[in-house]
Amino acid sequence: MRRELFAFLKYAAKRIITLIIVVVLAIYATILVANMGGYVDEIIKAQTRDSIYTSVFQNPAYQHLSTEEKKQLAEQLYQIEIEALGLDKPFIYRSGGYLISALSLNLGRATYLTSDSGSTAVRNIIAERLPATILLFTTINLTLFFLSLVGGLFLSRKYGSKLDKAVVTLSPFSSIPGWFYGIFFILIFAAWLRWLPYGGLVDVPPPANPFDYALSVLKHMVLPIFSWLVAYSFVQTYTKRTFFLMFSSEDYVEMAKAKGLPPRLIERRYILKPTLPPIITEFALTLIGSWMGAIVTERVFNWPGIGTLFYQAAMFMDSPVIIGEVTIYAYLLAITVFILDIVYAIVDPRIRIGVSGA
Amino acid sequence: MSVKRLRGTFKQLLAYRSAVVGLCILCFIVGLSIYAVIAIPYEEAIRAWRLGEDVSINNPRNASPSWINFFLQKKLPETIIMDTLKKESGAKKAIVPSETISAIRIEFPFEFNYDDFPSELNLFFTANYSEKAPYITIDWIKPNGATIRLKEMVVKKTDRYYISIDNELAQKLRLDLSEKVGQEIPYEIPPQLSLFAVEDGSILKPETAQVLKGKYKMVIEGILFEKQSDMDSRLVVYGKVFGLAGTDHLRRDLMIGLLWGAPIAVSFGILASVLISFSQMIIAAVSAWYGKWADMLLQKATEFFMILPFLPILMMIAIFYKLSIWVLLVVVIALSIFGSGVKTYRAMFLQVKELPYIEAAQAYGAGNLRIIFRYMIPKVLPTIIPSLVLSVSSFVFLEAALAILGLGDPVVPTWGKIINDAYTKGALHQGYYYWVLEPSFLLVLTSLGFALLGFALDKIFNPKLSEI
Amino acid sequence: MAEHLLEVKDLYTYFKTRKGVVRAVDNVSFTVEKGETLAVIGESGCGKSSLAKSIIRLLPRNVHTYKGEIYLENEDLMKIEENKMNEVRWAKISMVSQAAQNSLNPVIKVGQQVAEPLIIHEGIDKKTALERARKTLSMVGIPEAFAERYPFELSGGMKQRAIIAMALITDPDLIILDEPTSALDVLTQASIMNMLKTIKKKTGKTFMFITHDIAVSSELADKVAVMYAGQIVELASAEEFYNKPLHPYSIKLMASVPTLRTDKKLEFIPGAPPSLIDPPKGCRFAERCPWKFEECRNEPPLFLVDNRSFVKCWLYESKGRS
Repeated sequence: MRRELFAFLKYAAKRIITLIIVVVLAIYATILVANMGGYVDEIIKAQTRDSIYTSVFQNPAYQHLSTEEKKQLAEQLYQIEIEALGLDKPFIYRSGGYLISALSLNLGRATYLTSDSGSTAVRNIIAERLPATILLFTTINLTLFFLSLVGGLFLSRKYGSKLDKAVVTLSPFSSIPGWFYGIFFILIFAAWLRWLPYGGLVDVPPPANPFDYALSVLKHMVLPIFSWLVAYSFVQTYTKRTFFLMFSSEDYVEMAKAKGLPPRLIERRYILKPTLPPIITEFALTLIGSWMGAIVTERVFNWPGIGTLFYQAAMFMDSPVIIGEVTIYAYLLAITVFILDIVYAIVDPRIRIGVSGA
Repeated sequence: MSVKRLRGTFKQLLAYRSAVVGLCILCFIVGLSIYAVIAIPYEEAIRAWRLGEDVSINNPRNASPSWINFFLQKKLPETIIMDTLKKESGAKKAIVPSETISAIRIEFPFEFNYDDFPSELNLFFTANYSEKAPYITIDWIKPNGATIRLKEMVVKKTDRYYISIDNELAQKLRLDLSEKVGQEIPYEIPPQLSLFAVEDGSILKPETAQVLKGKYKMVIEGILFEKQSDMDSRLVVYGKVFGLAGTDHLRRDLMIGLLWGAPIAVSFGILASVLISFSQMIIAAVSAWYGKWADMLLQKATEFFMILPFLPILMMIAIFYKLSIWVLLVVVIALSIFGSGVKTYRAMFLQVKELPYIEAAQAYGAGNLRIIFRYMIPKVLPTIIPSLVLSVSSFVFLEAALAILGLGDPVVPTWGKIINDAYTKGALHQGYYYWVLEPSFLLVLTSLGFALLGFALDKIFNPKLSEI
Repeated sequence: MAEHLLEVKDLYTYFKTRKGVVRAVDNVSFTVEKGETLAVIGESGCGKSSLAKSIIRLLPRNVHTYKGEIYLENEDLMKIEENKMNEVRWAKISMVSQAAQNSLNPVIKVGQQVAEPLIIHEGIDKKTALERARKTLSMVGIPEAFAERYPFELSGGMKQRAIIAMALITDPDLIILDEPTSALDVLTQASIMNMLKTIKKKTGKTFMFITHDIAVSSELADKVAVMYAGQIVELASAEEFYNKPLHPYSIKLMASVPTLRTDKKLEFIPGAPPSLIDPPKGCRFAERCPWKFEECRNEPPLFLVDNRSFVKCWLYESKGRS
């Protein structure tokens, strides 16, 4: 037992260190891209200069000054402003500072965007939007996961049946992304039939009663969930069913059948157990991916989550928000990968004992 | 890799109905692409798309596709163009010269038998003179004989008269019609309605207004003040249908966009898919074969790119740089090369590495590169083909997604761009469904084509699947 | 008391494939007495594994025909329900299949897998079952500590022993061994065969030993059945068979086995076994048989020779009928 524990800890430590390095590098890279290596700073500086000059030249209080004097005044004000924003130091120098702040989740203030409550703290802005995304996409992915798992298992038993063939035939329709289906379902159910809302989180104005509020949110979740279910349930069921079929033709499953084990036991211990690690990995990574990547879906449905936030931040070139979001995402992903590695090691003894393999 | 193997695979493929359907779809799309490239050369397409109005001034705005009339009871009008420079259009021009000034008379006779009103009425002029511009009067004669003076104007070298947005005229016509009908018309009736409508109570509501069918004539009479002066004119009675696909808000024939969307989508998807899959495969092979430092480095690079959120970063770059579609392609590829495929392929290569014939190759002194490219990669290649084909769809939709978000190439006509235009111009609210449905249909079709093919290929190439 | 432990009568097992119907087992009949070891010898693809799977009723999805009678101590296994069959499996008949390398569940410890049948079939509690598993493992030559290991930590030979242990633990009436040593090196092969011999002597169990290797089979066999193209062509006692094989195929097989001490010209059998999809009419071995003659155009029945052996060959017509 002790031998196992030791190998386990060594493995865990190795993973943590590598992940930390990767996270740090990824966030730094994002900082560079978000600021385009200093280009955004130049833009902000130019804009600041413009606005200060304009305000000085148009300010009636300064009318009496000569052009030269106005220019000097403007320059002085400009310098003060730049220093306040910290833009006087070269970007590379500041990027290190950004990195450390980002890593410690001190995400600073947004340049343009504000949260609904008026705060410009990036942390607050993100915190405000995060729940909506988590709510919607966790629901979607959990539903898809269990649907496809049960469906896949069921179909693997009924290989060649009509239902099986139907799922196989419908799977290619998953090449069309959920947001695209979303556009059409909005057309049908919101524009034409007027059964469901076009988008957004709740009715406007939101109901005061928390119960009605929850119902309203649910109503708004129907179309996005439905779109993703139509888009992805077939292919996910198909993948899992194929996966289970492949694994049920393994020799040790044959052996289990020869041993006269009851079919349900075989399913659970000989098919499900060996395949669980890759299935769970896929689920976890998809989940995290959907939190960040479902920007288009959030746009189509006007869902106020971090996807929409990202879009707005990118539009306004609001670097602090962008960096903040990417940092959070990087952390989430790294943590998930790490947890998965641990889960893998617990479930699959081959990894735990440190045998390298395919 | 031999031709025989390809043929065998092809035969196997045809056994699957889904693959046959997929291949047919792809043939169609590729056919469209080839047609697009031949019929409308790239530069011309870009020009027509970019300049929009200037090139397509004779097209109606937001017109539905012509075939829609097949399904409608109320037939929508087509565009009628009469140009004095083109005798066959029916325009008549006569100049009566004299010593100093000449009289000019232009007639535009046409039949209008549609059930719905034109969308617009425009008159275009080109006049030739050195100092004094011609002076003209424009009259409109309805089938019931009623003659209406539209305008009197001086015609400059290039001039235009937008009849349908002439407010003065609109008011005048409204008052006249109100008198005739005996009731005040309660809305701002536009000229293209009043000039074509049956003059009775039906005109009191725009929905009930009827078209007065029959022979119409526009008569332009004018004076040319110089001996060498000349003038040409073009009347465009804009319809509500156009071509196979309709038009957009900038009068552009949607067929251009739809046709050209095909080669762009297909090449974008295939290039991205092929280049990324192959690069990932090579990286994985190198990583698996050389092991140790190379492996660790490449794996860390892969994890780095996997943590980097693909879409957000792509968006950032697209916003900051306003990229052209081909640069976008390069960026997409660059961001994807170290993707998760590398890990999957590496696992496969690790297994292949242990195969005895690899050991044999080493034994007779084959170099590392040779082993990688001649022995390991060909073994794994068939297994990656299905996912390669399947991922084409996702890249096609990636480009569409960016375009729909407004981040795509601003110049090149792609299906996603058309949808984006439609959305931002409120196509859904104004009922221009074809604007959204046509490019969507093509996107779906293309995606399905590749997906059907990919799934069938998967059944053939995936060794474990063929056992089931 | 039943006459035979296992009686197989007129067994047909056909499979449906893309290329046609594979007649893997084409009218096979034989018996196995209690305590006896029947060796089923044949080349790859002659239907031996399908025969084994037919007896334990583990048929793949594409089975086309499956008829006949299989009596295990008077009970016709072909007629009982699936869940009853599950109770028979392993409790009365166990099987060690060909691919030992992958026959063990990779994510469950060896001891647990060996103990599993006891828990399921006999309802024994986990602790006792594990105890017995450990004992059985040591009986096949695996140290008891290995019960706590995972399959990938065992060598090929050890895995094979573990599977044999698994097959023995429920004390079944019949144990089918399908090429148990084919994937192993000669030394391991020898040690496993020794182990089996010991077990046979100690427990007096009934085995059905399927192999392509005549030499290996001779170590355990009491009775020999030779299979060719889905049919049994010779059925004799081990003594008779290894001394003097009767069927031309058996003769040729024997001749092709190299002997250690005598100088012998190695022979081989030209040609290849016929496809099971469309077997030739008449005697299926005829085209490769050096003694073929006119009558071989018709399918020979099994002739009883010297009141002891059965041979499916026209050459023995005069010696009597079956």
